[in-house]
Amino acid sequence: MIERHLMKLRARDEVTPEEEQAIRSIVRELRHVRADTRLIRAGEVLSESTMLLDGIACRYKDLRNGERQITELHVAGDFLDLHSFTLKRLDHDVLALTRCTIAVVAHDDLRRITDDHPHLTRLYWFGTNLDAAIHREWELSLGRRTAAARIAHLLCELYVRLGLVGLTDGFSYRLGLTQTDLAECLGLTSVHVNRMLKELREGGLVAIRDGMVDIEDWEGLQKRAEFTPDYLYLERRPR
Amino acid sequence: MPHYFFHVRNRFGYVEDEEGSELPDLEAARARAIDGVRSMLSEEARAGEIDLRGRIEVRDPAGALLLTIPFAEAVTVHTGPPADGSKPGIAA
Repeated sequence: MIERHLMKLRARDEVTPEEEQAIRSIVRELRHVRADTRLIRAGEVLSESTMLLDGIACRYKDLRNGERQITELHVAGDFLDLHSFTLKRLDHDVLALTRCTIAVVAHDDLRRITDDHPHLTRLYWFGTNLDAAIHREWELSLGRRTAAARIAHLLCELYVRLGLVGLTDGFSYRLGLTQTDLAECLGLTSVHVNRMLKELREGGLVAIRDGMVDIEDWEGLQKRAEFTPDYLYLERRPR
Repeated sequence: MPHYFFHVRNRFGYVEDEEGSELPDLEAARARAIDGVRSMLSEEARAGEIDLRGRIEVRDPAGALLLTIPFAEAVTVHTGPPADGSKPGIAA
C-alpha cells in the first residue's frame, strides 16, 4: 500500500527494514475518492496527515472571484500535508484532481516515530524541503517562463517524479488532468494551454492524448523548458 | 452542465479543442473565450508583437457554432496621440 512512498524515499536515501516497519505500522484508513473531492480545507484544525497512494492531487489557493492557483501537484507516494504535522492547519486547500487513493497518518503516531527514529525524522524533513524546492521552481515558471516553457517544464517535472515511483512507461505517463487543471497550475487559461500544447506537439516535443502524455523528444523538451532535475534532489545519499 | 469547445483560428492556423469544458451557460462560455484571448495576447505583448486578427469559435458537442469572438473584441486598444496631451513622435 505504501510501496510508492517507499520508492520515493529510497530514491534519495536508504530506508532500513525497521524504519519501513515503523512507517507501515502507522498508515491507516485507506480510502478511494472521486476526482474533484476536496481532501483538506484551509483553516481546519488537523490531527492527521494525508498520504496519496494513487492518482493526482494538488495544493491550491484561490481568490474571492473563484480564480484558482494550483501551487503544487502531488503524485502517488507523496504526503499531501506532512507540513500540517507542525502547522496544525493549512493556508491552502488540498484537492483530488483525478480518482485518488489516500490514507492517513495520525500526528500522534508521527510524533512517536519521529521520537524513536531520528533518521526517519530527517527523511521527512527532507520531504518538506523538497516540496519547498518544487514551489520555488514553480515560482520561477509563473514569474518568468513563457507559456510554452511553463507547460514543457511541468511535463518534464511530472515525468521525473512519476518515473521515481514506477508510473512511467518508456517516455509516456498517464496524467488524466484537464486543460483547465493545467491552466490553473500554469497561471494561464485553458484556451491558451490548448494553443501552446499544439505548438509543442507540432514541434515534435510532446503530445497529450486522452490523458496520456507522450514525450517524443526528451532532450528537446528539457531544452525548451530549461529543465534540469537539480531541484528534485535525485541523489541517493545519507540525509 | 453544457459542454463547450473553444477552437482558435489565428495566423498560426487552427487549434482544435478536443477536450472542451463544462460551463453553466453560454455567457460563461463567452467569458471563458475572452479570458483565453486576453491570456494569449498578454504573452504576445511580452514578446513585442500583437496580432488581433484571430478569433475563437465556441461550438457545442455536435459542432454547431454558438459564438465567434474576434480577438479584437476581447480588448480595447487605444492608439493616437498620447493621453497626456503632448505631441507624439517629438523628443523633448
